[in-house]
Amino acid sequence: MATVHLQADHRRFTGGEKTLRVDGGTVGELITELERRYPGLGPLLTDGASVAIDGELIPDGIFEKVDASTEVYFVAPISGG
Amino acid sequence: MPRTHALRTQVQCTVNGDEVDFLCADETSLLNALRDELGLTGVKEGCGTGDCGACTILVDGKVNCACLMFAPEAEGSSILTVEGIAQGDELHPLQQTFLEGAALQCGVCTPGFLVAAKALLDENSDPTETEIRYALAGNLCRCTGYDKIIRAVQEAAVQLNGASK
Amino acid sequence: MTVTENPRTYKYVGTRPVRHDGLDKVTGKARFAADLDMTGQLRAALVRSPHAHARIVSIDASKAEAMPGVKAVVTGADFADLDPTHPEFDMAVNLMARGEALYNGHVVAAVAAVTAAQAAAAAAAVEVDYEPLPAVLTIDEAIAKGAPIANTTNRTLFSGDAEPSNLASVNEFGRGDIEAGFEAADIIIEREFRTAAVHQGYIEPHACVADCGQDGKAVIWASSQGHFAVRSKTAAALGWSTDRIKVIPAEIGGGFGGKTTIYLEPVAVLLSQKAARPVKLVMSREEVLRATGPAPATKITAKIGATNDGEITTLQSTMYFDNGSTKGFSALTGAMSVASYKLPNLELHAIGTVTNTARSAAYRAPSAPQAAFAVETLIDELAQRLGVDPIDLRLQNAVVEGDATAMGMPHPKIGFVETLEAIKNSDHYNSPVPEGAGRGVATGFWFNIGEQSSATVNLNEDGTATVVTGSPDIGGSRASMALMAAEELGLAVDRITPIVADTESVGFTDITEGSRATFATGMAVVNACRELIEELKQRAATIKSADVERVEWVDGAAVIEGEDRLTIPEITAMAKNTGGPLTATASLNAAGAGPSFAVHVADVAVDEETGETTILRYTAAQDAGTAIHPSYVEGQIQGGSVQGIGWALNEEYIYDSNGVMENAGFLDYRMPVASDLPMIDAIIVEVPNPSHPYGVRGVGETGIVPPIPTLANAIAAATGVRMTSLPMSPPRLLAAITGGADG
Repeated sequence: MATVHLQADHRRFTGGEKTLRVDGGTVGELITELERRYPGLGPLLTDGASVAIDGELIPDGIFEKVDASTEVYFVAPISGG
Repeated sequence: MPRTHALRTQVQCTVNGDEVDFLCADETSLLNALRDELGLTGVKEGCGTGDCGACTILVDGKVNCACLMFAPEAEGSSILTVEGIAQGDELHPLQQTFLEGAALQCGVCTPGFLVAAKALLDENSDPTETEIRYALAGNLCRCTGYDKIIRAVQEAAVQLNGASK
Repeated sequence: MTVTENPRTYKYVGTRPVRHDGLDKVTGKARFAADLDMTGQLRAALVRSPHAHARIVSIDASKAEAMPGVKAVVTGADFADLDPTHPEFDMAVNLMARGEALYNGHVVAAVAAVTAAQAAAAAAAVEVDYEPLPAVLTIDEAIAKGAPIANTTNRTLFSGDAEPSNLASVNEFGRGDIEAGFEAADIIIEREFRTAAVHQGYIEPHACVADCGQDGKAVIWASSQGHFAVRSKTAAALGWSTDRIKVIPAEIGGGFGGKTTIYLEPVAVLLSQKAARPVKLVMSREEVLRATGPAPATKITAKIGATNDGEITTLQSTMYFDNGSTKGFSALTGAMSVASYKLPNLELHAIGTVTNTARSAAYRAPSAPQAAFAVETLIDELAQRLGVDPIDLRLQNAVVEGDATAMGMPHPKIGFVETLEAIKNSDHYNSPVPEGAGRGVATGFWFNIGEQSSATVNLNEDGTATVVTGSPDIGGSRASMALMAAEELGLAVDRITPIVADTESVGFTDITEGSRATFATGMAVVNACRELIEELKQRAATIKSADVERVEWVDGAAVIEGEDRLTIPEITAMAKNTGGPLTATASLNAAGAGPSFAVHVADVAVDEETGETTILRYTAAQDAGTAIHPSYVEGQIQGGSVQGIGWALNEEYIYDSNGVMENAGFLDYRMPVASDLPMIDAIIVEVPNPSHPYGVRGVGETGIVPPIPTLANAIAAATGVRMTSLPMSPPRLLAAITGGADG
């Protein structure tokens, strides 16, 4: 279980909800649960996107552990020049 | 079968103090001759139109873009490229100040800058910042913003003047 | 000059040694890709579309193939047939058209011949039958109702739409209540901004040599920001497995994001395979400008609200970024870069378009400079209207640790306030504005990224060390790797040789981009050194018959029980007696990249007769976290500043009505030269990144973000004219001054 913060883009899947409590012990499990609840949302969260966990940007972090106090932000892909 | 390319011209000249000769088609640029026939790949091609200065060389002491000269025009001349700036193991003060002053990043424009800056200091041993900036205005650098290049030339001038006193 | 809150002092980190690759670069010995020649090598030339958009009806290469010296011809039919959903589809189609030419300059065929002149002649003899199609050249044309489709393979990202579209992406970010924010505002300012496409402008044109052997494997010598990416992209374009391709990095003559993708290597490999000889392929400058790189053109509307007390209550912006011929993330990153102010109410719409112009590529802090032009101009106007110092207004609203970015995630530890204060306290900002001149300030932000890196550290028999990484060095990063290794091992920096190894000699490493090399690859180097030190302590314990628990590593030596000392050369000399060679490898996917903020100030004079802007003084402050090699940190700040200055004042892609770039050369695509500029005073601010062992944030990107609004704000101060379109070139500025509106 963790607190998940979604982008405005994602909210069309959640009926406008932007902050959710989601079951799961890893980021990947959170995504699976979100996809189950809101079909179509999962690919937006996995395709090249990064996560920020408690303020730290983690690339490709689907196996990162989360718990009830974790704040997870799904952020758009960031690259650079 | 008919011949498919023209006879080549022999060119004799002095490059970095050595007498050399090579064969080239009349339309070959001096840049390509230096790189392909003589292996002097320190002379870079950035544009091929004389706008970037990466192929700057001295021909009889004068600054030229090697890409704007036909190779046969070099007949009988004395050419200096970046490969000829150091005296044996001893770097030219400009090479030393570029290194110590971090006046290069990717380094592809560096040979042209060194040759152009040497030409400036050969003629004007104590240039102002503005004179340096105008003397190097034919050389493009996209990495450094020129700041450290200008400072390295200023520092080399100080060293050269100190050595001559 | 360095402003630091970094309490730690280091022996090597923060010093300025001569870079290890420097000698070769000042003597002309350094080998860039175009400098390499292989025995039996052929030269290749590309056939490019003269149309902005056309169906390729047929390609007849029979005349070309019969010409003297010609050994191979390839077309789109020779390449892997990727599905449009493949992540490398757009890259692959961009380097060789399939069915349709999508922009003027799109490659449709390639020829290899014995000489370059023969290849060029044969390329001109390839007969391509085109059926011209309607072309879309600008953002406005792309979004117009009933517009022709620029690229029929494009579907709007994540929309679920099955129909082709000229919209690459449509995204929205926000928080709070935008309407309430405007209601709470005493001052509201709204403007529309436009910027032209610009090029990264690296001095070295793209180049590679490929040699495909009888065993079906290929070796590629390439100039790129990431040779592992060259391998994976080449493999994708050819439908090969990666083990068939070895990429050897040549020196790279500038990239700035433009060499994160590839254009040539798969073409050279196929030509080499067909001809059974090595093939060298080098672009001309005209090809570079016509068909590689540009950063997106934009159209941005922005509306900002603030109270009379200077609290910014709200920001609303719609940002169009043109990706050129294929989809991309440019609009998304532009919107995401709005992250410098608290902005309790925020609404951002980011729309990426597709047009029949060259496929855009990343350019240093991709999309942030265009977004900053809009936001930082409005903030300057707010300060002007409120009658407050523009730095004070920014300090009042500046984000600090824990404040939200555009995406909502909180900022980690950042140094924005410190960077603003560094300019506020600078000699420049405290000197009077010269008579007749105007002063402008603006700020910039970039996230920076982590990603995957590997490093191997080998200790040699004599106690010298080799640091092996897979990060191409585009601005002095080898020296930084050596400095961090020196600090860890306690070994003099000139006893360490940092090298960039090929794809078969070091572990996978992502592209040098996003200011990540010194951060992430540096972290891998540090980890490898730390593992090596544990091994060195073990060896010392063996030599001295001591308990390893009693061995400490102090200043380059193992100290046993506080007194007996063994140096690295003493331990390496006995390596064969104590367990063999001393080597350690570390790999990681680096988390915790630290954002970097920059603040610039410029004094400019504008000639009201010609519209020419002269920069009288320029100072740039940036948070580096920790400057590993301060000279090259300053170099990044100065170089980024001047690229931004060029973007602001002169650089632009000019297309005719047929989509032909009219200024595809350095004479007409006018980049800054030395005589255009003053010295660029660089102030390094050091607020260490807690996620890096030395506090590194990465410094490559942010420097290009502030210059455009800095100069626009300075020009406004000097002339009273607010420029809202780029470039602010003399004719445009003159028109704006004389007409009283933006030209």
